[in-house]
Amino acid sequence: MEVKNDYEVLIKNLYKDYGAHVVFNNLNINFIKNKITVLLGPSGCGKTTLLNIISGIERKYSGEVILKDSSISYIFQEDRLVPNLTVFENVAFVLKSTMSKEETKKTTNKYLSLVKLMEYKDMFPHELSGGMKRRVAIARAFAYKSRLLLMDEPFKGLDYKLKNEIIQEFLKIHNEDKRTIILVTHDIKEAEALGDEIYTMESSRSL
Amino acid sequence: MKISIIKKSRKITILIFWVFIWELCSLFINQPLFLPSPFEVIKVLMNLIGDYYFWKSVFNSIIRVILGLFLSIVIGIIVGISAGLNKFIEELFNPLIVCIRAIPVMSIIILALVWFKSYYVSVFTTILACFPIIYTNVLQGIKSVDIKLIQMVNIYKVKKKYIIKDIYLPSIKHYIVSGILMCLGLGFKVSVSSEVLSTPKYSIGLNLLNSKSMLETSELFAWTIVVILWSFIFEMVFKNYIKRMDKET
Repeated sequence: MEVKNDYEVLIKNLYKDYGAHVVFNNLNINFIKNKITVLLGPSGCGKTTLLNIISGIERKYSGEVILKDSSISYIFQEDRLVPNLTVFENVAFVLKSTMSKEETKKTTNKYLSLVKLMEYKDMFPHELSGGMKRRVAIARAFAYKSRLLLMDEPFKGLDYKLKNEIIQEFLKIHNEDKRTIILVTHDIKEAEALGDEIYTMESSRSL
Repeated sequence: MKISIIKKSRKITILIFWVFIWELCSLFINQPLFLPSPFEVIKVLMNLIGDYYFWKSVFNSIIRVILGLFLSIVIGIIVGISAGLNKFIEELFNPLIVCIRAIPVMSIIILALVWFKSYYVSVFTTILACFPIIYTNVLQGIKSVDIKLIQMVNIYKVKKKYIIKDIYLPSIKHYIVSGILMCLGLGFKVSVSSEVLSTPKYSIGLNLLNSKSMLETSELFAWTIVVILWSFIFEMVFKNYIKRMDKET
């Protein structure tokens, strides 16, 4: 595989299995800087596992995963919101370690407006619908200043109109801050609309 | 309102039932030295309440219980959180906790008698009896935190102080509350037992010992009721405080 220097994430000879179930066998792939790469494939083919390996959540594998920058945002398949924090606090929670109080407030408000949740900012996760929780998770990932954005089926559970609006805003933000994005989906239309590069993954096999 | 009155009157009826059983047993045995009647005990208790010495003894004992409980809660929370966040600290403290749990309270009291002045023996014993409970509950609370949230905060590189404040502390709150509730009753029991052996000047324990020595069984019962009542009052105050806190949040 030809390796150019414009990569954000470089994966070499990746091998990963869950017992007899081999997920990746000698996978080589490079994710190009500032581009949106879409991983397309059926459930269980290892898309989420790959994101977990890149993010460092999954550590049991062999091979090499090289990241140019360690700052990562991750929209997980589940929302992973802190239950005792409000919508505003959930977004601010990941920002306040690196930003001033004023900057945290400004950035949080900006991204909550983007996902149309400003009027719900004082509500707790248990008071929100599934789609609203998803939007909080999106706002949190966008607001966090990172070089790499991992998105695991980010628009799942959103209605068609809202999904399109957020995708448009998402593309606008991407054109401004040019992050490297790895997006997992099994929606071909979504992949075509968003991806600069699209990789199709096949179901893994058992030994 | 109506339900609350019904509940209260039911509790009072149950209490009256047990006092009645006590009176029946006392009449049946008919030996006040072994089992005085509840009316005799209440009479003695009323006499004690009017005495300045009684309040001074109760006050001093309560101060020692509060001090012992407070220190065990603080130490339990700090060490519990540290052990929950760091496997090495957990392994380091594990043998100590296992030992403290296995040591009979009497051994602790006797050792404390050698090491400390009589005033501090019950404080030390209360700490050793209650600290493992708070520690274990806090540790359990930390371990019950959703691992997915921890993965999320690690990816977003959230500072440890925010993780403790916003994720761990709210999660262990209920574990700490149940630990404190367990310790409130135990703290009184252990502290008063220590006082019986260490006999600090003004204490409930010393009065229990004196009553036993003088074969004043009614007084022995009266002092025991004092311990039960204070333990009950502490539990009620704490439960109401938690209820109010929950309502506010």
